[in-house]
Amino acid sequence: MEALAKSDFLAKEEHPTKPFVLWRPTAKTGLMSWLTTVDHKRIGFLYGASGLFFFIFGGIEALLIRIQLAVPNNTFLTSAQYNEMFTMHGTTMIFLVVMPIGAAFFNFIMPLQIGARDVAFPRLNAFSFWTFAVGAIILNVGWFMKDGAPDAGWFGYAPLTTRTFSPTHAIDMWVMGLQLLGVASIAAALNFIVTIINLRAPGMTMMRLPVFTWMTLFTSFLIILSFPAITIALVEIMMDRLFGTNFFEVSSGGLPILWQHLFWIFGHPEVYILILPAMGIISEILPTFSRKPLFGYPVVVFSGASIGFLGFGVWSHHMFTTGMGTAATAAFALMTMAIAVPTGVKIFNWIGTLWGGHLTMRTPMMFAIGFLWMFMIGGLSGIMHAAAPADAQQHGSYFVVAHFHYVLIGGSLFALFAGIHYWFPLMFGRRVSEFWGKVSFWVIFVGFNVTFFPMHFLGLEGMPRRTFTYDKNMGWETGNLWATVGACVLGIGVAIYFATMIYTYYKGERTHKDPWDARTLEWSLPNPPPEYNFQAIPTIHARDSWWYQKRHMAEVAKETADQIKADEAHGGIHMPFQSIYPFLASVGILVGAIGVSIIDPANPNVYHGFWGPKIAITILGGLIMFVSVVLWSLEGNEGYHIHLNEDGSVKGEDAHGGYASHGH
Amino acid sequence: MSSTAAAGAIDHHHDPTTTTGIPNKKLLMWAFLASDCMFFGCLISTHLIYRLHPPPGTLPAKQVFSIELTSFSTFILLMSSLMMALAVNAIQKGNLKSLRWSLLTTIFFGCIFLGCQVYEFRNFVFEKHLTITNSILGTTFFTLTGTHGLHVLIGVIWLTGMLIYSFTGRLGEKDAIDVEMMGLYWHFVDIVWIVIFTAVYLLEYL
Amino acid sequence: MSAPTNDTQAGHAVEQSKFGLYIEIAMLLAVITGLELVTVYLPFMKWLLVTVLVVLSTVKFMFVIFYFMHLRWDKAFCTILFFIGLVLAGGTMWALLKLFGAEASKPLSSAMMDPPAAVLSVS
Repeated sequence: MEALAKSDFLAKEEHPTKPFVLWRPTAKTGLMSWLTTVDHKRIGFLYGASGLFFFIFGGIEALLIRIQLAVPNNTFLTSAQYNEMFTMHGTTMIFLVVMPIGAAFFNFIMPLQIGARDVAFPRLNAFSFWTFAVGAIILNVGWFMKDGAPDAGWFGYAPLTTRTFSPTHAIDMWVMGLQLLGVASIAAALNFIVTIINLRAPGMTMMRLPVFTWMTLFTSFLIILSFPAITIALVEIMMDRLFGTNFFEVSSGGLPILWQHLFWIFGHPEVYILILPAMGIISEILPTFSRKPLFGYPVVVFSGASIGFLGFGVWSHHMFTTGMGTAATAAFALMTMAIAVPTGVKIFNWIGTLWGGHLTMRTPMMFAIGFLWMFMIGGLSGIMHAAAPADAQQHGSYFVVAHFHYVLIGGSLFALFAGIHYWFPLMFGRRVSEFWGKVSFWVIFVGFNVTFFPMHFLGLEGMPRRTFTYDKNMGWETGNLWATVGACVLGIGVAIYFATMIYTYYKGERTHKDPWDARTLEWSLPNPPPEYNFQAIPTIHARDSWWYQKRHMAEVAKETADQIKADEAHGGIHMPFQSIYPFLASVGILVGAIGVSIIDPANPNVYHGFWGPKIAITILGGLIMFVSVVLWSLEGNEGYHIHLNEDGSVKGEDAHGGYASHGH
Repeated sequence: MSSTAAAGAIDHHHDPTTTTGIPNKKLLMWAFLASDCMFFGCLISTHLIYRLHPPPGTLPAKQVFSIELTSFSTFILLMSSLMMALAVNAIQKGNLKSLRWSLLTTIFFGCIFLGCQVYEFRNFVFEKHLTITNSILGTTFFTLTGTHGLHVLIGVIWLTGMLIYSFTGRLGEKDAIDVEMMGLYWHFVDIVWIVIFTAVYLLEYL
Repeated sequence: MSAPTNDTQAGHAVEQSKFGLYIEIAMLLAVITGLELVTVYLPFMKWLLVTVLVVLSTVKFMFVIFYFMHLRWDKAFCTILFFIGLVLAGGTMWALLKLFGAEASKPLSSAMMDPPAAVLSVS
């Protein structure tokens, strides 16, 4: 295998480029090691930790909403505060929780599943994370400012978001924050596509890929193809706000409905971006705990692709009540019904996986089965929306809120919680307590259903969403009270889950390799995996490659020994250098973003002409970013080589993980 | 087998270390361009949507545009694409001198294009009284062509950086993939202009 | 100005100089641009002229991507990847234009905003 043949596409190590100005970071521990890391496992951890951190924010925002709505005519929150709450709850949960936790798994698990040492562009990977962090900061800094947090809904409809109706910087921060999150997501998705297509281990054909990796690929395609639509929408609203253009200015011929179209051209694929990774995780967990291969693997993969593709053709089902005309409404209703088919196919295949299997009801399995049932309920209310006449009643009501929480919590979140439990032993070498895991599952399950099931009825009885209070003779008090009680139980369940994870991280029972007797390649590694991932890149002979390897140990041992010899002959294992430039580039972006979205334009009484703090800070940020990118490109990507001892430790590395000598 | 630089013969189209043989950077750039298609697609759509039912009193675009100037700048951009293709061709043969001349002419033509855009914009604003804020046509036109111009500017900066780097002695045949990647970006900017020229300018004359 | 050409590659098609081919294509692109400019002044039906313009620009587009951008000689996957984005963008544009072109999406004309005096006086 020529896996480590010197590539003509990497600069030669004999003439390493000297980095300009700044040094080549080599810290393996401490703050600098995190700021300069390019290791996909560390970056995955950073995404995961961020996602869980913002989950607390989003959860508190939700609880505040529920407290306000517990009783009619409540005065716990003002209407302005309520608007901030539901806006930030939605924005946070979607962009700062579900997407980053998904990204955490894409980063950590996917390269291990395909037998790679890292992603195709490690520094770009780091840049994605740091830019995500900047976007998260910009979105949330409004809480600390007079202007307040964004308050026009997570979907930011024009003309509410124009300067006329939202004069403060709150919406500027929302627009800028989302724009940066888009940049981060697109960069990461491009990286994953190249990695999955090009960095597979020998023998890993596409049809031998784990389903989670397939879903990573489809999600990445959805990201690179749908985010440009919201990028354009955000550019247009930002130009209206900053420069007085007329994209959504009705008096000059602007059409606010265009915002809705562009937003939902992004927004609908976005919800598939939120659910496909979850479906991938479930497709790994169900086979493992049924001790059977996934039923209908090619069909599950093809259905994932269909869902992704069809997802681009249904966006106006969010706009059935906007008067698009009969033909358009009917077309989108039909497409929406069609997309239920591949989704249903997947559910049948998962049931087929369980059927006849030897079920082991561990916590990940419980969350996975919970996913099947809860996601299906969410899907059923979704089909009800697809019928446009019925949607005329349901749109803008709590029925929609019930639908999407069933698919997002019952679907995405259950799967992510399952994945955290499932892969915890691999990532941290510790096993989560079964008892507390199951307790957290049941409390979450009960709390979640008590919160959201009544909302179906509230919606059908006419309760509108996005309104801060309701009157007491509408018949909505019971449903709301139940929902609030449920939300508190759900909050307790999530708190138990978090507490269990944090405890396990520090003090959990240590576990041996492959505690679940799993099927896919990532479990072949020690836990936690070493920096270089695989001692030798494996040769793949079948789907569920780890399952195959466990039953062909002698063959694998020989291939490993041969590969190790080949690697040594080529100079060792190639590792990418760490770099500070992705971080610095993001710092530049932060400064520029502050300039664009937060600093006031120049006061004509103080500053004459064009220049003022806003322009200066924006340009300064741009310059920092530009210089960082130039130094990044001049730094060179040759990396260094390491050699391994018999036990897998790195030669020349001292016990603290530092480096005794550079390179070789 | 392993195609190292032993015989001075680098295979520029096949990277044996990748599963498909496609160099990673090339795959990255093509995926990015697929994404950029959606980006410009939505922006061009915005412009075309607003041309469907122009508000009463809108300046007829025919009276504002100068099709001769735009045809000239289209021609210039197409020629710059030719120069870019020649630049990639040159570096793949290790011909640094040829690369530098081709890059220089690409930059030169790119700057002429940008100059034409600046001239056109100034003419529209000051003489034809079409600004980015005074009408929906102005808004969509200047945003669309301005965004394209920004892409051209980024390309020119990238090309200039590459040209300067080629004088440091560190750029060689092994770096052809970087030039090729840059070339793909530059050609894409050109094909977006082909679409804009037809959809934004030519269609107004019918 | 001639550096040694590397056409002794082992195991794949010889990389002939594409110099001449690129020049020819550039001339073709220039000619097509000229044709487009002429087309708008021809006295034919609008639908025919639009079709001709679209065809001409598509031809230019295809020449640039397949030759200048090298797709003709690269692995098919690069072409597929790009066409996914292109087709999706085209399809989205078509759908948006159909949506906004529909009768139901016509903006209300100003005549409707200020009803004529005859209507106002009936009360």
